[in-house]
Amino acid sequence: MKKRRALSLMLAVTVFAASLAGCGSGTTASEQPANTTAASTGGTETTAPASEEFSYPMTSGEKLSYWADLQTTVSTNFSNLGDTPFAKGWMENTGIDLEFLHPPIGQAKEQFSLILADGNLPDLMEYNWKNDYPGGPEKAIKDGVIIPLNDIFEQYCPNIMQYLEDNPDIDKMIKTDEGHYYVFPFVRGDEKLCNTIGLMLREDWLAELNLEVPETIDEWHTVLTAFKEQKGIAAPLTFEYTNNQYLDANPFVFAFDSFRSFYLGADGKVHFGASEEGYREYLATFSQWYKEGLIDPDIATLKSDQVSAKMTNGTSGAAMGQAGSRMGVWIGAAVESEPDYMLVAAPQPSTEKGKMAEFGYVEIPYSGRNSVAITTSCKDVERAARLMDWAYGEEGHIYFNFGTEGVSYTMVNGYPTYTELILNNPDGLPVSEAMSSYIRGNYNGPFVQDLRYLEQYYTMDAQKETPKRWGSASSNGKSYMLPPITPTSDESKEFATIMNEINTYRDEMTLKYIFGSESLDNYDAYVKNIETMGLSRALEIQNLALERYNAR
Amino acid sequence: MNKRSFTYRIRKDWLRNKALYVLVIPVLVFYILFHYKPMYGAIIAFKDYTPTLGVAKSEWVGFANFTRFFNSIYFGRLIRNTISLSVYNLLFGFPAPIILALLLNEVRGKKFKSLAQTVTYLPHFISLIVVAGMITDFSLTTGLFNDIIAFFGGQRSPLLQNPKLYRSIYVSSSIWQEIGWGSIIYLSALAGVDSQLYEAAQIDGAGKWKQLINITLPSIAPTIIIMFILKTGSLMNMGYEKTILLYNPATYETADIISSHIYRVGLLEQDWSYSTAIGLFNSVINFALLLFTNKMSKRYSETSLW
Repeated sequence: MKKRRALSLMLAVTVFAASLAGCGSGTTASEQPANTTAASTGGTETTAPASEEFSYPMTSGEKLSYWADLQTTVSTNFSNLGDTPFAKGWMENTGIDLEFLHPPIGQAKEQFSLILADGNLPDLMEYNWKNDYPGGPEKAIKDGVIIPLNDIFEQYCPNIMQYLEDNPDIDKMIKTDEGHYYVFPFVRGDEKLCNTIGLMLREDWLAELNLEVPETIDEWHTVLTAFKEQKGIAAPLTFEYTNNQYLDANPFVFAFDSFRSFYLGADGKVHFGASEEGYREYLATFSQWYKEGLIDPDIATLKSDQVSAKMTNGTSGAAMGQAGSRMGVWIGAAVESEPDYMLVAAPQPSTEKGKMAEFGYVEIPYSGRNSVAITTSCKDVERAARLMDWAYGEEGHIYFNFGTEGVSYTMVNGYPTYTELILNNPDGLPVSEAMSSYIRGNYNGPFVQDLRYLEQYYTMDAQKETPKRWGSASSNGKSYMLPPITPTSDESKEFATIMNEINTYRDEMTLKYIFGSESLDNYDAYVKNIETMGLSRALEIQNLALERYNAR
Repeated sequence: MNKRSFTYRIRKDWLRNKALYVLVIPVLVFYILFHYKPMYGAIIAFKDYTPTLGVAKSEWVGFANFTRFFNSIYFGRLIRNTISLSVYNLLFGFPAPIILALLLNEVRGKKFKSLAQTVTYLPHFISLIVVAGMITDFSLTTGLFNDIIAFFGGQRSPLLQNPKLYRSIYVSSSIWQEIGWGSIIYLSALAGVDSQLYEAAQIDGAGKWKQLINITLPSIAPTIIIMFILKTGSLMNMGYEKTILLYNPATYETADIISSHIYRVGLLEQDWSYSTAIGLFNSVINFALLLFTNKMSKRYSETSLW
């Protein structure tokens, strides 16, 4: 009896212990944000007078912790940014050791909130402080999460100070309404970098049908009808409708001098495009096209892989997309089975032949993404600031965009040219991954992006044409884009509630109009409903934010 | 019951069944740590929570979060959609596993029975993302479902853009995915029915249908009732994952539920207090329903959860 008791007791305890093995940090993938170790190392003169001689690499000192999202083009080959040749070179050149911490892919926002709640912040955090911190960047400073950088810039950051002096419009963008600098920003250094999305169609079909690249809405109608009737295409124009960015950049909305949401009117005030007359014209045209079968019937559910399939297998003839991740990929994939396959970029359509479109999609140079702030947990602020500032100087700029001379680029007549290591990687890596191992130029980060990267990233002629066809090349859209304004933290909740209702209503009604289930005769009722949902209050909040921005 | 006798009995029981207690302690600890202790966090529904201030120091706002939700223009529609989807799921999705279990129970051939069981279980293990991707692809105008419709002479149409079809697609795919897995518990209940009862009924001249009504169903009635009570306890809890994957603005009017609507607010502004308030609202309703159903069941049958 006793033996049996002992055995069953032992088993019970074993099961107990085994179940405890399951407890433990479940999230082994995410590393806990480590605070800088309290190892007292000397050599940290915190009050360096600005006039003191300073050069990189810095003398050895404490390791800094750097939290950032790991880009997919890096993560396919490296599990930590610190393993990349880029990061190693960065640390070597600046003389500062970094510990990189990454959230699980796709969970940056969630982990961000957890880190904040924890209180032990990494020294440097790369994040969209402008858009993704609830309440805005000024609140992040007031909450004691990050430090304002005005004094820091003056004392330790000559490079970025020079850049901001040379670019006063950028300077305004990266401040808060109260005039505080809060990040080392990601800036697109050239206008042409700000428009990488546009319309494209099958060039081989246009040639076959003897048609020119369409420039007006009427020409588009002719081309799409020809695709349908003469080539028997089921869905001439297809669209990645589930992608919010594409909806905001929809060139057919712009053609009618309209906008999907907020824009800066000619009167200097904020307007909401989706309740204005131009939007009605867009809906009328687009619904007519849908009725005629010129638009993919499944448009509302299409995701990127479905659109890619349709564009490469000939089910569709026209779509919208980026030059790199869509045009380049589609051409590359389709050309193998169809050697005549070719895409051509089409400009922003206007309603009048010969007249350039007023509205168009141009991104603002500072979007807030991947910008680095110094947190209040950082003990060696000077070191962190000097590290980040390096990227804005001549040497750092070249390094972030082109890498190491002789390895990832060579100077050819003063033009930094990528080597075969990047463009034709011996290990078979695609260009985007090879680039991401050595530079940050092909994705976002705390530096100024150089146009010359894009000129070489686009390897195909069709792609190289795109900066000349899209964005500011074919429209005046730049003057209508809203600058990076932010509502105050009190207003932002109200704004989010109102806008969620209005956005839901707008998206729902837009599709109803396009499908024809709702007649455009009720457009006025639609506009009235948007008004009732609080549009004027939302516009008021936006206009106040705009005033504060202009006063910066 | 006086205290002394309770502790006395516990001690005696412990001495006799030490092993059982040791076995159940981790479960108790798990529930206390991960289910009861976090309930404290629900108070952020009444606060304006900021991660930097923490739960304790965030400002109290009373019912502001709740009023914000109730005043939403779509409030009525969201409640209606959430409840109708749940009710449809209950109406069609609840009997389905029972019927499958009853059918499988009648199957004589062991091989076929195992095959049928395996085939019906498998969809449960397919990830929701994959299932949603399949449904989206099949529902395209050029997809499988439309091929079948066209084969029978119907008109092709983009199925997932039709708000009238949304609920059917949602519920049917849920049934398809869960019917096998859900039937397990009923099959095990059916296995416990005394075969002598069937023999006695056959002798008395009862046919298959009468046997079903008078023996099988009453035997598994306690299982059915308990499962039903549990299901009503999650009526308001429609998760957003499947909805987000299947909906689009064309079907908002039947597809947009509370959690998916709030998800979109969350994309504009990370408001933990707001979503907690709504979660709390859902839980209160669920709990009330649970109590009600349990009481009804106690009154009209002998089975109840407690």
